[in-house]
Amino acid sequence: MTEATPAVEIRHLVKDFKTSFKRQPLRAVDDVSIRIMPGEVYGLIGPNGSGKSTTMKALLGLVAPTSGECSIFGKDSLKVDSRNEVGFLPENPYFYKHLSGEETLKFYGKLCGIKGAKLRDRVKELLELVDLEGASHRRIGGYSKGMLQRIGLAQALIQEPQLVILDEPTAGVDPVGSREIRDLIFKLRERGITVFLCSHLLEQVQEVCDHVGIIFRGKMVKEGRLEDLIAIEDQTELVMKDASPELVAEIEALIAKDGTAEHVRTGKPRTTLERLFLRETRSREETN
Amino acid sequence: MLSHASRIGVIARHAFTQLVRMKVFYFLAFFAVILIGSNFFDLPQHEGPESAGINILRSIKSWSLGAMTLFSVVLSIVATALLLPKDVEDRTLYTILAKPVPRIDYLAGKLIGVLLLVFVSLALMDVLMTGILHLRTEMVLADQMAVAEARNWPAQDVALLKSDILAQGPTASLQGAVFSVFLRATIIASMAMLISTFSSSTLFTTIISFLIYFVGHFQADARAAYFTHEAGTGDGFWLRGVALLISLVLPDFQLFNVIDAVIEGQVLPLLILGKLTLIGLFYFVFYVIASWLVFARKEF
Repeated sequence: MTEATPAVEIRHLVKDFKTSFKRQPLRAVDDVSIRIMPGEVYGLIGPNGSGKSTTMKALLGLVAPTSGECSIFGKDSLKVDSRNEVGFLPENPYFYKHLSGEETLKFYGKLCGIKGAKLRDRVKELLELVDLEGASHRRIGGYSKGMLQRIGLAQALIQEPQLVILDEPTAGVDPVGSREIRDLIFKLRERGITVFLCSHLLEQVQEVCDHVGIIFRGKMVKEGRLEDLIAIEDQTELVMKDASPELVAEIEALIAKDGTAEHVRTGKPRTTLERLFLRETRSREETN
Repeated sequence: MLSHASRIGVIARHAFTQLVRMKVFYFLAFFAVILIGSNFFDLPQHEGPESAGINILRSIKSWSLGAMTLFSVVLSIVATALLLPKDVEDRTLYTILAKPVPRIDYLAGKLIGVLLLVFVSLALMDVLMTGILHLRTEMVLADQMAVAEARNWPAQDVALLKSDILAQGPTASLQGAVFSVFLRATIIASMAMLISTFSSSTLFTTIISFLIYFVGHFQADARAAYFTHEAGTGDGFWLRGVALLISLVLPDFQLFNVIDAVIEGQVLPLLILGKLTLIGLFYFVFYVIASWLVFARKEF
């Protein structure tokens, strides 16, 4: 059986940048290899300046690798035709302020060779998908940060690409906007679209990605399936609802009797601050 | 697949819309004021009464073509210098180059968008100038014919006077001169595009482009004076090579001085206009290819 062509294949990517004052070039990416199969949602995480964006730019041909190779669905990413199947949302994008949301999507659509009724239908569909039908005729200059990210995501999807690359898709967006963008990523996953995103917001990556790579100072330090990476193999979690203190005490006594098992902690599971925020703001929105 | 021409067309139309929405056409109001003002700019009359009014016609042409030159040069440099760095700064360029858009298409599209704007601006100014000049020529002609009739001038002299006055009006040569203004703007915009591909700021591109524009008015004289003098020292071959290289990279804007002759009422030969068109095309292609060579290697 032949293996499917990877959506993304980065092989031993090295990227050095010339520096003005130092003779030694700055190595932004150091021997990074990534393989993303079609339909996967891959998260590249790492602190600021760790080489995430440079890796993405190399994949898009915006920077040329010092050594190594990048390909998209088997096509060399330095070649223009490799971009037929890619949609890209850069970090903190600013689109042409003089265009409306609808005009923006039409512009990108025309660049990809879509026109006429097909373009109109696609623009309408995407405006619905990103929930911007109401603001489609407003100039981009008046859009909020969250709206900009959503129109950015829509332009990335205009030619129905099979791979979407998102660089810090929720940077600077409020929790509600952030949740909306995450929901959109879920929708992409449901449609079988490969997503390659980079972020330093770990909780967000954990929620949407099934594969993760950790990059630090330009080197890939850990990579694999998320479930495999975050599971603590020697621990078991038991979550109970309405358990009486007596029952908890009984369970603890049983553990103590076992001799091999060790009781690590007992307590109430906590929600996240984000979930609390969303619950509170949504419940107030509904009552108003 | 989308052809290069269609993609360039999309980018050019977008660049044109972008500049139009920056309200650049407001300058047409200034042009109208200049044009109306030039109607009242009557120079002291030294010739006989048979030349009365002709100075006004020259003044209208001179001010109009001067304003067209100024606006087209400023627009070509500033608009070109602005578009590229702005796209890089706003990261809009990333989203465009992440689509299947070759870099040459992007550059050519932006440049053609600017040239489209310059062309439309010049066309609008030309319509205004031609309209005013036509009306004014009719007035001057009527006055002069009345004078000639009162003095019982021979028919031959009247015909000569008439053709002299009409030569100062809206002639085909005048349209050729406006087209020459556009050709010069094409060269300047293409040159500004090349500079903006390696410059890091709009200000740098603007200053250097203006400098090259001014140098372009003197480079032919400088070449002639320096290289013909030095060529006698034995390094003639190399010096001629350097002179050729300079003339290749830096356009000789003195060639466009034919516009002044048209203001004086002279005919602009088609051969000269054809030569200017070829020079304009040569520099457009030369600078676009040079810009592409720089831009293709540029990292963002």
